[in-house]
Amino acid sequence: MLHREIVIENQRIGADVYRLVLKGAVAATARPGQFVHLQVGTTTDPLLRRPISIAGIDQPKGEITLYYRVVGRGTAKLTGVRAGETLSVIGPVGTGFTVPAVGELLLVAGGIGLFPLFTLIEAVDRSAVRVKVLWGGENRTFIQEVGGETLFKMDVDYAVATMDGSMGHAGLVTDLLQAALEDRAARSLAHRTAEGQTAGTAPSDWGTGALTERPEGRAAFTVAACGPKGMLQAVAESCGQMGVPVEVSLEERMACGVGACLGCVCLVRTTDGTLARRRVCKDGPVFDGREVVWDEAD
Amino acid sequence: MKPIDLTTHLGRLTLKNPVMTASGTYGFGEEYAAFYDPSRLGAITVKGITPLPRRGNPVPRVAETPSGMLNAVGLENPGLEAFLATYLPRLEKLKTPIIVNISGFSLDDYALMASAMPEDSCIAAVEVNISCPNIKQGGLAFGTDPRSAEEVLRVTRKNTKLPLIAKLTPNVTDIVTLAKAVENGGADMISLINTLLGMRIDLKTRKPILGNTMGGLSGPAVLPVAVRMVYQVYKAVRVPIIGMGGISTWQDAVEFMLAGATAVSVGTANFVNPLAPLEIIEGLTEYCRQAGFAAVREIVGLAHR
Repeated sequence: MLHREIVIENQRIGADVYRLVLKGAVAATARPGQFVHLQVGTTTDPLLRRPISIAGIDQPKGEITLYYRVVGRGTAKLTGVRAGETLSVIGPVGTGFTVPAVGELLLVAGGIGLFPLFTLIEAVDRSAVRVKVLWGGENRTFIQEVGGETLFKMDVDYAVATMDGSMGHAGLVTDLLQAALEDRAARSLAHRTAEGQTAGTAPSDWGTGALTERPEGRAAFTVAACGPKGMLQAVAESCGQMGVPVEVSLEERMACGVGACLGCVCLVRTTDGTLARRRVCKDGPVFDGREVVWDEAD
Repeated sequence: MKPIDLTTHLGRLTLKNPVMTASGTYGFGEEYAAFYDPSRLGAITVKGITPLPRRGNPVPRVAETPSGMLNAVGLENPGLEAFLATYLPRLEKLKTPIIVNISGFSLDDYALMASAMPEDSCIAAVEVNISCPNIKQGGLAFGTDPRSAEEVLRVTRKNTKLPLIAKLTPNVTDIVTLAKAVENGGADMISLINTLLGMRIDLKTRKPILGNTMGGLSGPAVLPVAVRMVYQVYKAVRVPIIGMGGISTWQDAVEFMLAGATAVSVGTANFVNPLAPLEIIEGLTEYCRQAGFAAVREIVGLAHR
């Protein structure tokens, strides 16, 4: 679990965001939604490792792709690492996303929360799962610089929202989600009505008909999200109201990254209704959005 | 070439080497088993236990500092009952001496915790935590007043035959007075040091970073404070000292032992380099070999000559 990985690439792609490609042992066992815990130097300052989500897994080449935004001294130092150097990596660590086998998968991302969702896009069987990305960012510059190097090249449906209205929907990405959920509910209702009349025929508005039906007659529809806490809370609440399964990838200040120090915890409501602590680094970072308790009032 | 003798005697407790892990940094021993076999360690100190389960403090619980970190976990733990039923059987499987760290909010709590620890298990010693800075009552309060500290040790002593370690806080004016008090109370060993109280403020939100406002400072930044306290206490007490506070390398460990520590604990360094304890065991051995010592215990307290 502790490896030295060779740096293949460490390039700025725009808007203070860098792409870091590492070659080594992590790729072989990495799963969507997991992360690596990187040591950014060999001195004691900055002291702690940096947790960075895995954004790409290339098992044949033995490479993982990470994206990071320069936010502090650790990430600033990381930008100085050159191709050919090695980095100490703990990983892959954490519990990641469920990969749906069929149906529709809606991915909701806020800012750099986009990157961990890429591994999920890569992992699903796109002939059986229809994927769409809803992505919110600060402005057009951020979306174009970052998306142009990543999402827009991925041959996947997407819609964007910007806070300043300079690109896509003017407002929050959760507005797009709400519209999608309502649209989905309306289609589901129409489908059920249609089914009553012509039982067993696939609904034409779902495209190719490749989607496998659930026994109750509804295609599996799930949401996965990553972004700021406030956004994730809104996503979880919207999905909860509509009865849509949702997984959220949480972010928290971490120390050990392996579940030993209890530095990065969240609160969940378990199936029997009791409140319990979970470790974001080990039990997460991906959690069932309906379980997470967002406001921890003491 | 004769192998260097690493055997470590801490009063009645004998360990195969002097390197252990510090409470709160090593979970219940299982997380780091993915990196190496924990039985290579002298001992493992597990996360602090309280009579009842505790959910601990709200996040953020950690904040980085120059060459260090603050933590304010707030003694999150499964409680005594779950520890004995669930975690202790798993700890047995690690085949390593286990030191159980106990905390309480009253003398009765400490008595209860001490009496509940089985004397025929993997538990090699009980570390009495009278120095946690991250809980509102008890904890630090017991550790800053010599009379209370002595009383906690006395009560604990009455309730178990297991070796007792008193873990002291550095957040006092005179560490020697506290050390003498816990020795009088019946401590078989003294752990030095717990974390130093500190805080950080976020410039954007203009609020304290930690959910608990204040937290305990650990890591290389605290090392000189810890070395100084080990040095002072070594001169004043007869019981052996377990030195800790920023130990990351074998050089750090040697420095603590020269100051008077019979054994050392690795804490925050585990987070950065999970293999640090093993590298320290190797480095200590090599240091003794090159300096001509047959046993690692020969270097304890040499700075006092």
